[in-house]
Amino acid sequence: MGASRFLSLAINRPRVVTAVMVVVSLVLAALMVRVKVDTDPENMLSPTERVRVFHNQMKKEFDLNDYVVLGVVNEKDPDGVFNPETLKKVHELTEFAKTLRDPDDPERRVIARNIIAPGTVDAIEQAGLGQVKFNWLMAEPPATRKEAARVRDLAMGNPLLKGTLVSEDGRAIGIYIPVSQKDFAATVRKALLKKIASFDNANGDQFHITGLPVAEDTFGEEMFIQMAISAPGAMICIFVLMFIFFRQVKMIIAPMIVAMMSVMCSMGLLIGSGFTLHIMSSMIPIFLMPIAVVDSIHILSEFFDSYQKIGDRKKTIEHVMDELFMPMLYTSLTSAAGFASLAVTPIPPVQAFGIFVAIGIMIAWLFTVTFVPAYIMMMKEESLADFGVAADAPDDHSFMARHLAWLGTITYRRAKLLLLATVAILGVAVYGISLININDNPVKWFTPKHPIRVADRVLNKHFGGTYEAYLVVEPESAVADTRAALLAAIDRLAAAGEVGKESAAAARKLASSVDGGADGYLARATAAFEEKLDQVPDAEYDDWALIADLPGEIKAQAQVFKRPDVLRYISKLQDYLASHAVVGKSNSLADVVKKVHKELFAGDPKHYTIPDTSGAVAECLISFQNSHKPDDLFHLVTPDYRKLNIWLQLKNGDNQDMEQVVSQVEQYFNDNPPPVKLKHEWAGLTYLNVVWQDKMVTGMLNSFLSSFAVVLVMMVILFRSFWWGLLSMVPLTVTIGFIYGVIGLVGKDYDMPVAVLSSLTLGMAVDFAIHFLERSRMVYKKTGSWKESVGQMFAEPARAITRNVIVIAIGFTPLLLAPLVPYQTVGVFLASIMAVSGIGTMFILPSLVTVFERFLFRKGKTETMEA
Amino acid sequence: MKRFFVLTAAVLLFATQVPAEAAMSAGEIVHRANLASYYGGDDGKAKVKMTITDSQGRKRIREFIILRRDETDGGDQKFYVYFRKPSDVRKMVFMVHKHVNGDDDRWLYLPKLDLVKRIAASDKRTSFVGSNFFYEDVSGRGENEDTHKLVQETDDHYVIENVPKDPATVEFASYKVWIRKKDFMPEKAEYTDKQGRVYRVVEALEIKEIQGIPTVTKSRVRDLNSGGETVSEFTGIRYNIGLKGSIFTERYLRRPPREARR
Repeated sequence: MGASRFLSLAINRPRVVTAVMVVVSLVLAALMVRVKVDTDPENMLSPTERVRVFHNQMKKEFDLNDYVVLGVVNEKDPDGVFNPETLKKVHELTEFAKTLRDPDDPERRVIARNIIAPGTVDAIEQAGLGQVKFNWLMAEPPATRKEAARVRDLAMGNPLLKGTLVSEDGRAIGIYIPVSQKDFAATVRKALLKKIASFDNANGDQFHITGLPVAEDTFGEEMFIQMAISAPGAMICIFVLMFIFFRQVKMIIAPMIVAMMSVMCSMGLLIGSGFTLHIMSSMIPIFLMPIAVVDSIHILSEFFDSYQKIGDRKKTIEHVMDELFMPMLYTSLTSAAGFASLAVTPIPPVQAFGIFVAIGIMIAWLFTVTFVPAYIMMMKEESLADFGVAADAPDDHSFMARHLAWLGTITYRRAKLLLLATVAILGVAVYGISLININDNPVKWFTPKHPIRVADRVLNKHFGGTYEAYLVVEPESAVADTRAALLAAIDRLAAAGEVGKESAAAARKLASSVDGGADGYLARATAAFEEKLDQVPDAEYDDWALIADLPGEIKAQAQVFKRPDVLRYISKLQDYLASHAVVGKSNSLADVVKKVHKELFAGDPKHYTIPDTSGAVAECLISFQNSHKPDDLFHLVTPDYRKLNIWLQLKNGDNQDMEQVVSQVEQYFNDNPPPVKLKHEWAGLTYLNVVWQDKMVTGMLNSFLSSFAVVLVMMVILFRSFWWGLLSMVPLTVTIGFIYGVIGLVGKDYDMPVAVLSSLTLGMAVDFAIHFLERSRMVYKKTGSWKESVGQMFAEPARAITRNVIVIAIGFTPLLLAPLVPYQTVGVFLASIMAVSGIGTMFILPSLVTVFERFLFRKGKTETMEA
Repeated sequence: MKRFFVLTAAVLLFATQVPAEAAMSAGEIVHRANLASYYGGDDGKAKVKMTITDSQGRKRIREFIILRRDETDGGDQKFYVYFRKPSDVRKMVFMVHKHVNGDDDRWLYLPKLDLVKRIAASDKRTSFVGSNFFYEDVSGRGENEDTHKLVQETDDHYVIENVPKDPATVEFASYKVWIRKKDFMPEKAEYTDKQGRVYRVVEALEIKEIQGIPTVTKSRVRDLNSGGETVSEFTGIRYNIGLKGSIFTERYLRRPPREARR
């Protein structure tokens, strides 16, 4: 069998085995220099994912950008931020932001022309009756308080700016700085912070920077620091704990080397095969290390306990490997299967994560069964002299040994009580699971005291919201048959007597002769009519001038979003959304039309309405286009007026909040049929997060169920018994139930790291069960009685499991010091999973075996796997 | 005014071969260029088609007829702009009384809203009906608003650099104009922002002689920041057609004269 072949190579050629491992690891690790970091949660969705394609298409079509939000707040000055000193800083920061660009890559820059700041937007001003003017809201910083107050009043008077650019309380100004690429956001933030540091803020000015791209990009930078601190920190912790257990530095170096080499190989393979280092894959070392040391600890623990009895390192290692080879192979295969099942999720970074952790586990297994024995063989026999428990020192003296023995008796005597307790705990867990809150928000990946979180809180208190979502609305049907419409229009003109019969007849003939091919019929008809218009005698000129306008009018009818009824419908939708708490503010074409309409009528608030004809709407829109930035209109509607973008500002980026808005919109469309059939679709980063989160939850559930099934089949094969196989699944089922129950009960959101933990639980918990049950059956074979077996099981095998639990649980506490929440989460849950699955294994399995002893040990059910 | 090629730029010019004198001052060159581009004939008319193309290649059309009447050569002028396209703003009228000394008077007539809107003296460097042309491009920029410097002289062109006297009122830091020596027609203007980058280019793509007057018949503005551009094509250009002063009054906003319609 495999064990001996591996073992003989490792025992006879320890140096060769070691050299090969080191060289392979170093070569693969060298690939890591090609690392490309990717912290964009957008990549949680495949690039071809429909919603993502749509999002990017809309960004392009409406010229939308991702914004860095710079908030300037003053709570101290009586005029808030509207004092000359603060406004001067606002002006300086705006001018400074315009200049930011990556000197090495012209594609990474601030898009200066789309900055939203007092210096870059128009005030639509009243200048007496019937007069309107477009002036920059703040071309230069004001010199006096009076002028500063005027800037405030103008901004407040523009519904497009109020709540977005200026807070309603006048205490804050928001500068929205668009970046061409999201991964430039952290650079922009740092440059701004540096500039801000040069200000004297004795007057109470505060500056806050947030926005999803900043959060995401900054997270990427801190992720690296995190990896550089936590992963080695965890290594050191594990090392110290192992030293406490084994007291032999030389000995415990082996598992450390296995863990390190496995991490180097898997990360090298990941990066070398062209994957980016995503927030998910950055966690590979943290997941891999505990799994990688587990098997080594089993070997060492067993070696530690057996060496003094056997007395010869070669014989001891042969004995140890004989007992552990198959359990280790199976535990590795099952853990790998658990992670590999993540490949069935529809989320690319999670797939890569699962596959490479699985590969890493198998690499760790290979290194464990070859290198660890080789390492022991390379040590001098003398140096092992005082290693391990002396044969004459009974096991049951140590603290751990005494307690484990006691535990063993309990599981035998109080088996039914323990099982009852387990069932009760599961009951509570199921209730807890029903409370689980599925939610995520990249800004909340930072701890509450992080400047980005603080900025998020402060700015969302003052403004309509720093989280953007876009609701894109368009008519359901395409433009109708244009030729028929044109002929009908000519007939109508003739019937109304507006054009002569002869002109109408000639026009019909001309309209019919124009090529009716799919697109561009109206453009071709227009060209034909205009050519005619240039030729006709004066007498017919007026007829033809009217006729020549018809194609344009038909085209205009297709311009759904110039229709007053449609705009009023949209406006009501916005009012409806504003009446709920989540949407702080929304901007649409309807707001532009109303604002311009009001100003055209001398600023009379009664005219803050949509005018009654589409021609009047068109006149409002063309008036708006006389401003400094006429193209701002096309962030809100396409130039053909057939696609509308409603820009929503959310106060909170939680997926739950976004989901609530989505369902409100559905509700509105269902309850209020629009004047023309409209379809709608969402875009924007806040919405994208919802989509991938959704996929994550269902994907994780599917992957968990499939890996549960695969592992169960493996267990049945391993134990050659369905019931033993099923038994081995009990601890992990209880652990997962317990962990997720607790998550539900304490109100921790089910987010990305939490979702991934189910796979880890599966892999770890089943490991303990395999070790425990396999060893139990071996012992039972020798003793023939479960009662006696329990005593032996709670000696060495239980100690190995306990050591594993403690090493890993405590080893990952350095993660708790992390300033990034996902790592803290992983730290806390790794520790809990280890503890619960370890305890679960040692309480529940023996109790179950006790209760079902006769059934499980029926004749023919007890062969061990390596037969 | 050195704001050249604007729609009007196209329109008139008083004819002119000015013999190239040695040592002409920058101010004088600018003055002549201004006359060449904005004051051809005593009055004039043209049909203008503006094609606005955004960075995504989407096109929008503006079509209008423009009438111009000079009060005095190089002095006050009146413009009447009658819109034909897009059809939903047909009959909209834009009228300017340009005053060389003092603010211009501007009106906008919106027929569907039935509103005559007097546009207050305000920033003239705002978009002309959504195109990349500015209002100032239509009526011309005051010669005295900038200081002029002849920075280069080639065989065919004078190159004048213009720096605004009041930088706070404009978005550019300076602009350069290439003026043809033979007839003082400006052919190109390049606007530089405060960071020293050229971000806006105005060009005469085609200059033809009409009734003996060099006239821009096709011009283009490119916005290098947004990637958008607007091309204006001028047809049906006629000079000295005897436009009456009464056309350029508020009364005619609601009842466009025949000259404006055809």
